Amino acid sequence: MTTAWFDEESRLTPEELQTVTFPMSRLGRRGYEEEPVQGFLRTVHAEFVRLVNERASLWQEVQRLRRRIIAGEAGGNPNEVLFGKDDAHVHAVRILSTAQLTADRYVADAQAYSSRVTEQARLRRDDIMRDAQQHSDMLLEEAHARAREAAVSALNLAPPPQTDRERQAAQAELAYLRTYSDVYRAHLRAYTEGVLRGIEEWERKEAASLQEAAPGNAHRRSIGTDGDAYRRL
Amino acid sequence: MLDVARLRESFAHVAIHGDELPLFFYSDLFIKHPEVRELFPVSMAAQRSHLVDALVKIVSQVDSVNDLTAFLQGLGRDHRKFGAATEHYDAVGASLLATLEHFSGPDWTPDLAADWKAAYELIGSVMTAAARADEELRPPWWRGTVVACERRAFDVSVLSVRTEPRMDYLPGQSVAIESPSRPKLWRYYSMANAPRHDGLLEFHIRLIDGGAVSMALTSAAIADTELRLGPPAGSLTLSDPVSGRDLLLVAGSTGLAPLKAIVDQVAALQQPPAVQLFFGARTEDGLYDLDSLEKMAAQYPWLTVTPAVSGDSRFAGETGSLPDVVARHGDWSGRDAYLAGPTEMVREGVARLASAGMAQEQIHIEDFGWSEP
Repeated sequence: MTTAWFDEESRLTPEELQTVTFPMSRLGRRGYEEEPVQGFLRTVHAEFVRLVNERASLWQEVQRLRRRIIAGEAGGNPNEVLFGKDDAHVHAVRILSTAQLTADRYVADAQAYSSRVTEQARLRRDDIMRDAQQHSDMLLEEAHARAREAAVSALNLAPPPQTDRERQAAQAELAYLRTYSDVYRAHLRAYTEGVLRGIEEWERKEAASLQEAAPGNAHRRSIGTDGDAYRRL
Repeated sequence: MLDVARLRESFAHVAIHGDELPLFFYSDLFIKHPEVRELFPVSMAAQRSHLVDALVKIVSQVDSVNDLTAFLQGLGRDHRKFGAATEHYDAVGASLLATLEHFSGPDWTPDLAADWKAAYELIGSVMTAAARADEELRPPWWRGTVVACERRAFDVSVLSVRTEPRMDYLPGQSVAIESPSRPKLWRYYSMANAPRHDGLLEFHIRLIDGGAVSMALTSAAIADTELRLGPPAGSLTLSDPVSGRDLLLVAGSTGLAPLKAIVDQVAALQQPPAVQLFFGARTEDGLYDLDSLEKMAAQYPWLTVTPAVSGDSRFAGETGSLPDVVARHGDWSGRDAYLAGPTEMVREGVARLASAGMAQEQIHIEDFGWSEP
């Protein structure tokens, strides 16, 4: 009856758009970014499918009108063809399909909305958790710093304040120690001076006794040499 | 005899109409059989792409009978839980032919129509035969009551479900779940325990942003509600008989569930193999089941549990991506590995183990195949 366009073998099909690949440009050469090209191909594909479908329904419309004309010429009732059982069914299918697509869109919208809400809630939760973590890290850090400070100042702190009685007792003790030390030093000095005096006395007597023994000069020399060596040390 | 080449050519011609094809099909079906509408969810968008995917698969495999038969049998069994009955198959066949005719235009010939009719009858008979055989074995779905619901992390809940009748399954398998507040939407979840005497099933549910079913299941209102559970499915299970090799279990987030069921199963073995379980999450509070795992590790000398966190370097234990952590911990090539978790993590984990010399048949991951939700 009519020629089908589907038989035209060399025509481009939507599938070819989906599967087409292009060679990559050589490294360093200029070329298109892949993703925008793929995106454009997807758009062209969708448009292509739409056009194919439109053409199919137009073809069916032509067929229907043609049948109507033939029926009219044959003396039949063209209205029966126009609103024939088959046509009514196809119309019903179209109406239901449109309604279904509308329902699908509502569901998809609702799902996308719920997805967005959950995703936002999840991100918000992550934010709150991160803030809380940072806050707790900060608190911990601060507590550590305070503890460190307290420990250091405890080491440097003056002795705890004393009562008056304690202070008086300490001062009395100090006075006693000072007096004792003075007395002890006086004793020590007197004793040391006594010892020194004894040594001088002994040296003088020794020198006098050596001069009395004059004949032992040679012997004395050698002792003297030793004595020099000894004294130089 | 079917003219396979002609069927394929005819399908290629109508397939260029894209979404219009399944849109027409379902509208045609619902107008002719309004009672079928209630077997489907409100939004048909996912349904339409499932139909086209299945048709593409059938048409491409139509000459490799064995693969196609297995696919169709699975499809037939799987459709029992959706409430598909034998009479629905005729209705679907009629609408499928009407759709093909509508979009074929002048290419639709009586011969082609006869071929498609014969092809569909073959498909339908394989599916209904598998469904009938399955009826002898088990119900189309199980009624499950949520007896406990515990929120473990802000986005993870652990559910305890009692089924009626009791469900038998292999540890590591999963079931599709439908919540009463999201009718006709089924999502797969793994049981986190081996079958128990009291028949309780544990499920780990992670809230997915905008995920209709996960949102219903993690809601506090889920307690005491009745769910529908499809038949157990999946092949992430221990080999039978056991291989004798030690086990490496790598669980990311709620991928823990099937692997915990396997640990549960190993605990009942006479001679348990050594089991190293890595449990990873992005943050420390994502390790929602660590307490329970550490209790198990303290109880079972053959079990070692290593937690790891990928998104927080302050974590006291292992940090970094789970595949990295696993690789750092040594040579696993002598073990059987089981991996479950986010797709990207599983893919990377498998690649790392394979490149470290682990044989392909020792690496186990879930392959949903026909039952992919």
